[in-house]
Amino acid sequence: MKKISLAQAKKNRKVKIIEILGGLNLQNRLMNMSLHKGRELVKLSHIGLRGPVVVKAGRSILALGHGVAAKIIVEVE
Amino acid sequence: MIKKIYLIGNPNVGKSVVFSRLTGVQVISSNYPGTTVEITKGYLQLKDERLEVVDLPGTYSLEPTSSAEGVAVSLLKEYSKDEIVVINILDSTNLERNLLLTLQLIEEGFPVIACLNMCDDAGHRGVHIDTEKLEGILHIPVIPTCAITGAGIKLLIEKIREAAPVVRDKLIHEERWKEIGRIVEQTQRLEHRHHRLRELLEDASVRPVSGLIIAAGVIWAAFKFVRFIGEGIINKFTDPLFINFFQPLLEKLTFHWQEKGFWFHLLIGDLINGKIDFKQSLGLLTTAPYIEFGMVLPYVISFYFVLSLLEDIGYLPRLAILLDNLLHRLGLHGYAIIPVLLGLGCNVPGILATRVLESKRERFIASTLISIGVPCVPLQAMIFGLLGKFGGFYVAGVYLVLFSLILILGIILNRTLSGYSPEFLLEIPPYRFPPLAILARKLFFRIKGFVIEAVPVVLLGVLVINIFLYFRLFDFVTGIFAPLVNGIFGLPKEAVVALAIGFLRKDVAVGMLAPLGLSVKQLFIAVTLLAISFPCIATFIVLWKELGVGDVIKATLLMVTVSIILGGALNLLILR
Repeated sequence: MKKISLAQAKKNRKVKIIEILGGLNLQNRLMNMSLHKGRELVKLSHIGLRGPVVVKAGRSILALGHGVAAKIIVEVE
Repeated sequence: MIKKIYLIGNPNVGKSVVFSRLTGVQVISSNYPGTTVEITKGYLQLKDERLEVVDLPGTYSLEPTSSAEGVAVSLLKEYSKDEIVVINILDSTNLERNLLLTLQLIEEGFPVIACLNMCDDAGHRGVHIDTEKLEGILHIPVIPTCAITGAGIKLLIEKIREAAPVVRDKLIHEERWKEIGRIVEQTQRLEHRHHRLRELLEDASVRPVSGLIIAAGVIWAAFKFVRFIGEGIINKFTDPLFINFFQPLLEKLTFHWQEKGFWFHLLIGDLINGKIDFKQSLGLLTTAPYIEFGMVLPYVISFYFVLSLLEDIGYLPRLAILLDNLLHRLGLHGYAIIPVLLGLGCNVPGILATRVLESKRERFIASTLISIGVPCVPLQAMIFGLLGKFGGFYVAGVYLVLFSLILILGIILNRTLSGYSPEFLLEIPPYRFPPLAILARKLFFRIKGFVIEAVPVVLLGVLVINIFLYFRLFDFVTGIFAPLVNGIFGLPKEAVVALAIGFLRKDVAVGMLAPLGLSVKQLFIAVTLLAISFPCIATFIVLWKELGVGDVIKATLLMVTVSIILGGALNLLILR
């Protein structure tokens, strides 16, 4: 198991959130969209040049800015 | 005693469609989060009572994280809990994410009815929800509906009186998500489906390479389609109607007048080679209706048809992902593309839609860029109508100048304004294919809005212009601004009037340029100036309301400065 940020994770990989860096506001926003510690995601796509990351969480497809993705620490199986 | 019904739910679950079904009030709905940025109210007749129904902006949680969400939550607390009923609308295809708000509403003690909307789509996607079991777990009425077709709405109305508060322990966030996981496991059955075309397309449009190819194709096709439909309506329908029918009629009715005095001037305007020329005569019965119905309305129809289609399919949030990088350089994020696209129709809804952006800084940048660099459909239609005959090169030139201006101004604003812009965080809706009837209704609604708002202003504008021209009242104003307009922009002094009328309406203003006999270069400069200089009065009022006095003054100064610099530069740089 290695810990990396969601921005670094490879495409089509199943990952699990283990920590969210950043302020309470960001944590709450992510929490409201079901991104919280322990949540499993699949990274679908990453637009190059520090573009957004697209993930699938449950049945939702979410797009996260690069900066947000860099603050989500995940574990790769 | 129930006084109010609130509709609340996550963004993009179809609250506005349910609202229209309950109240008969038509509101714009699309397939992306944040279509509703204003509060809409309507009434539902329940036996002998009339209840107010309020459609709230979408929110993921009762702990709001954006201003639109904040509005929704604070409104809920305006009345005491026994005076209201909360209809919580959920997206059946995504029960898990939607239940967070439902649990919070129940925990807070609101009388809640859960409305499982889009149940037909859920069926298509192999999602089956056991509503009875869900009712048993939540202890509130749960009604499956499909608001687009109206299924289940009658039952929903019948259950309104049964809503009652339920006692439920308050949970902290992470426990709540665990609880939701358990509920979903018990009530939802997923049928395994192979990837179908729709899912493949959904996927391809958010991947870097295939996404860009699709985006380029969609934008190209949208543009072609808007022109094809717009020109089709003009050539096949409105032009024949005006020229073969309306013109002879007007000529017959008025040409026998002995004296062609004030009234003739007002109604018909000037004759060109002894005949009525709809583009140049400038009369209340000639140019005024021709501009609105013969030049602008066909493009309003075609533009909103294409935009509505893209909105309802759910393509726009995917475009936002691809443009996030570029828009970041301008101090915005990808979702700002929604206000920009709406602004291409009319700046007013465009600026209202900047409410989907989180910070005041972003809203200032987006509103300013829209009012300076995004030309509305009426203006674009007139640019095509007037400049198009000199060749597509010049029309493309106007767009190129505006686009470069947006980029340069955006970069400058981003570098100079204090603060930073928040990151992009957006749920991407699945593709949906709306029934044509729904699309047609939305198109009709938007066109009706355009006609009601535009026609009186255009008639009034042309009336005022004609009275002023007849009594030579403009001479004073043209005298003052002539040095600026002539010296810096290289335009004849009569163009001052047209530029000033731009404050009233852009299409009339461009229409006023037609009789002046301008060269291509002058016309190019004049229409570019009309696009960037001052927004029309409707846009100005909305800017004022949304930004406040201070920022409006800032934005206005910016517009005036940019106009003078750019107008002068174009005059110097273009040789012909």
